[in-house]
Amino acid sequence: MTMDAAAWDALRLSLWVACWATVLAVPAALWIAWVLARKEFWGKSVLNALVHLPLVLPPIVTGYLLLLAFGRNAPLGRVLDTLGLGLAFHWSGAVLAAIIMGFPLMVRAMRLAIEAVDPRLEEAAATLGTPRMAIFARVTLPLITPGILAGAVMGFAKAMGEFGATITFVANIPGQTQTLPSAIWTALQIPNGEAQAITMVLLASFVALGAVALSEVLARRVARRIAGT
Amino acid sequence: MTRILLLLIGLSLGSALPSNAAGPVTVFAAASLRGVLDDIAAQYDAPVVLSFGGSGAIARQIAAGAPADVVILANRDWMAWLQSRRAVAQGQITTVAQNRLVVIGPADAASITAQELPARLGDSRLAMGQRDAVPAGTYAREWLTAAGLWDALKNQLAETDNVRAALALVARGETAFGVVYATDAAAEPEVSVVYEIPQGLHSPIRYPAAALTPDGQRFLDHLAREGAAAVFASYGYAQVTP
Repeated sequence: MTMDAAAWDALRLSLWVACWATVLAVPAALWIAWVLARKEFWGKSVLNALVHLPLVLPPIVTGYLLLLAFGRNAPLGRVLDTLGLGLAFHWSGAVLAAIIMGFPLMVRAMRLAIEAVDPRLEEAAATLGTPRMAIFARVTLPLITPGILAGAVMGFAKAMGEFGATITFVANIPGQTQTLPSAIWTALQIPNGEAQAITMVLLASFVALGAVALSEVLARRVARRIAGT
Repeated sequence: MTRILLLLIGLSLGSALPSNAAGPVTVFAAASLRGVLDDIAAQYDAPVVLSFGGSGAIARQIAAGAPADVVILANRDWMAWLQSRRAVAQGQITTVAQNRLVVIGPADAASITAQELPARLGDSRLAMGQRDAVPAGTYAREWLTAAGLWDALKNQLAETDNVRAALALVARGETAFGVVYATDAAAEPEVSVVYEIPQGLHSPIRYPAAALTPDGQRFLDHLAREGAAAVFASYGYAQVTP
């Protein structure tokens, strides 16, 4: 296999992993952000610390803990394996690593957006007899959509860039678990591999810039819609 | 103020004086040499600072002017790359050790033949260094290709970012078998060698070294002596053949 084919495979896999990670993580991150922003309960600071742990742990530690928890030798991993859902050395494991590494970034962005919502707007809707779910859907959600988008883009970008936890948990198998960062690292381990690495660096930069630009456009459209109604 | 200045000058003169004694040596070495070099450094008559990493990372650091006296790599291609960059002088390169490649399994595993490997692997994976990036992985691919097993096994690999990670996967039972250096297998009680890979089926595994300073050359000379050679042998390295 030439390196160019490997680069495209790696790009495709990274996009696939990042899309899955974003789609799966956004609802969960929104829920956790909501709980952290609005609820008071025993153990809230513990939950907050747990959510933020992957941000401060070395990624290789997160990857190692994932391998200990979900490896083929761990009880949990064995159960998933018999169900055909084995995560270690599989692209779905890269999705899990990306979700965990991107989760704190998503939660932070969404929590800030939720905390910025003026509760009086929701109270006003409540006094008009609007049901709680409808208040969330028609008042709160439009107001926090820019925050959700920002969080989603951060999570997507983190998933595209995740290296340490991914290579530790799912290894670096071309065509199977070799993400773009793993492929760039691989190219840099080969004498005179710079040219291949730079091609992939450009690809990665292009995707990252594209994601940020897309989120800007979406956020502006949301802002216009809120101002218009 | 003047007194402090005088003191500083005195100190710097004092530290510059005993130039006949051996200076401290900084050695940049391939990660797989950890252990054996720790032992040799402990015996050496001058302080030795050891910095370990992947051969590629170390070669790049040396090319970028890292303050090393000696560089020891696990891969001849990277040493050739350093030569082409003129970071290492022509004719300066010596081989400090040779290694062999083995297939490992769990501690109690029985010996197998190469052709049995796919069947014995079942739905587990074969751990090895990444085929392009990690020297041990490149040797493993050469062997698997030469043995006619590559097509059967290439979708059942767990390719790691260094050979010790492959060793750890087998030691923890994450994968049934792995391909590592004989020296790695000897260092890990949780694994056993199930197959010795014929050396003719892959490129020779040699550790090339080069001195970048006179202090470094002194350390390299020490590595070639009897005592250091015995330490290499005790870790399972093969005798260096010309």
